[in-house]
Amino acid sequence: MANPLLTIVSKEVKELLRDPKILLGIIVMPLILFPAMGSAIGVSQRAVSRAVRRMAIAVYNEDGGLASQEIIEFLSKDNEIYIIEAENLEEALKRFMEAESSILLYIPEGYSERMASGERCMVRIYVHLRRLNMAETGKASSVEQLLMIYGEECSLRRIRRILKEAGEELQPEAVRRPISISYASILKGVVLDVPPGAIFGIIMSQNIMLPMMIMMMNIFAIQMAATSIALEKEQKTLETLMTLPIGKITILAGKLCGSILIAIAGAVSYMIGFSYYMRSTLGFIPQLTIETLSEAGLRLSPLGLTLLGAIIFLTLLLSLALSLSIAVFAEDVRSAQSLVGLIYIPIMMPSIILMFTDVDMLPNAMRWLMLIIPYTHTVIASKAIFLGRYTPVLVAVAYMLVFTVITLYITTRIFSTERIITARVRRWRIRGHEG
Amino acid sequence: MKAVEVKGLIKRFGDFKALRGCSFNVDEGEVFGLIGPNGAGKTTTLRIIATLLRPTSGSVKVFGLDVEKRADEVRRMVSYLPEEAGAYRNLSGEEYLRFIASFYSEDVEAMVREGKRISGLRERLRDRIKTYSRGMVRRLLLARTLMTSPRLAILDEPTSGLDVIYAYEVRRLIKGYAEERGITILLSSHNMLEVEYLCDRVALIDGGVIIEEGSPGELREHYGAENLEEVFMEATGRG
Repeated sequence: MANPLLTIVSKEVKELLRDPKILLGIIVMPLILFPAMGSAIGVSQRAVSRAVRRMAIAVYNEDGGLASQEIIEFLSKDNEIYIIEAENLEEALKRFMEAESSILLYIPEGYSERMASGERCMVRIYVHLRRLNMAETGKASSVEQLLMIYGEECSLRRIRRILKEAGEELQPEAVRRPISISYASILKGVVLDVPPGAIFGIIMSQNIMLPMMIMMMNIFAIQMAATSIALEKEQKTLETLMTLPIGKITILAGKLCGSILIAIAGAVSYMIGFSYYMRSTLGFIPQLTIETLSEAGLRLSPLGLTLLGAIIFLTLLLSLALSLSIAVFAEDVRSAQSLVGLIYIPIMMPSIILMFTDVDMLPNAMRWLMLIIPYTHTVIASKAIFLGRYTPVLVAVAYMLVFTVITLYITTRIFSTERIITARVRRWRIRGHEG
Repeated sequence: MKAVEVKGLIKRFGDFKALRGCSFNVDEGEVFGLIGPNGAGKTTTLRIIATLLRPTSGSVKVFGLDVEKRADEVRRMVSYLPEEAGAYRNLSGEEYLRFIASFYSEDVEAMVREGKRISGLRERLRDRIKTYSRGMVRRLLLARTLMTSPRLAILDEPTSGLDVIYAYEVRRLIKGYAEERGITILLSSHNMLEVEYLCDRVALIDGGVIIEEGSPGELREHYGAENLEEVFMEATGRG
């Protein structure tokens, strides 16, 4: 006879993968949807950068002096300048609002005089938010940067002149900025020529990506398991399955394994699609940080990888067992999926909260509540593994193991009783079958 | 040896008493019919014999084995066709037969061949089950029930929901297989004519108790009735 477990697993995988809703929704869609979204955002970002590259800048020059002419010439090198002729600022603004440009540089009266006398000068940028899009904000910050560069040049020119008059042979750049700062970070005893911001970027990306990956994988697994058992009820195949000459535990294990396989495929597909999306939009994990990851010792060691695998496996097993225990009470796939939605709360809560903070930073009551939820330990452990702190990981594995064993025991008890056949949810009330 | 021995069987679902002390025996090699109206307790009785439900009290033995204490062994001897059974819609008919056969036999292919023969679905077995008509699904399910050569086949309303032609074919199939293989068949039906055609002996069940038992001929004679329908009405005091 063929191995009963393999037979059930093979049937489960075939059944689930041949269901167009599952194949499309869980495996194909992330591979299409995320890259499509990423490309769409990439296209719009390129459009924004094109718009920012050569800007139309309106200038209302109330000053009219030499210094103000110089600043206009500086800006006109790479941009189109429209001079607004007006009696006063109010009229200038009115004309600016009627014009195409969305940036107005206002140079007030006395600018050149103040510049010549070495005083601090003020200019004002008006941004006309016509479309409230990224390009308008981008243009404003580009003009600001250009003015900062111009200001730096003015400053150095002035320092150079003063030094010459004083007969000093100093570097104008050193006079302007006597201290130059370069960063290094020390992490796990290793000194890295990397600013802490870059390391923080990596940690943040892990803090977001890992819990999100685990959360998505769990949700897929829960959906799979719920669908798998509810399909048996919906298709009226459960009774036959339960009278076959195989143990109830084998049926349960077969369903768990089949669901895990599809959930992993779904999670991989999701992560491929999602990382493409992140790369094409935010440059979420640039090459520099991936190299730095290895240099900083933040890459997983074989032990870390094993522990991460163990914790993810236990988490999946727990989710599947919970899902099966709940979904057996549903009559069809739709009601099973809405019933298992209850499990999403304890999965999503720690994932989202721990993306932004550590459990130790939470208020006492909240911290204990979070620590009771087994999924919190998955997130804590996955973060600790990357930092090479294995004690909290072992605690998490132990806690998850206990929780999973208890849940699996309850699930096998439910599978061993007749409630798997008779129980069904009707309007959120669980009843036995009468007949 | 008795194929099935049911003694004082009681089954409660909460406050509802589905079986109230049901007793009957099925001899090895016979086709036995459990007949009664909807809600009489037929399905509950068959589910208990098939090890799906547990009795509240009383005893049920299949070939001498207690269905509660030795459920695993009982399942190896029994093949059960539920009334509203379905098959995995995304598998082909052949894949479904192979899936079931792999739990019963070393020679899976021989069992699948037998299943194909019984089903009579031929090349349609290569198609996904979701493309089958209700009658085709029922034939496939009957084929998977019988192809395993069980010592006891339990068929709950085998022709339920089928049109005249399919119901006729399924009845012929059951009768032919029982005669050919000599296996014990326990079936339930509320179609008295079907039971009369198929069964060697019948038990009339009403309100969770057996009210009469015997061969169709004996019962007709005893009640001076023309058919089992009249026997049932007389026996239950509805006539």
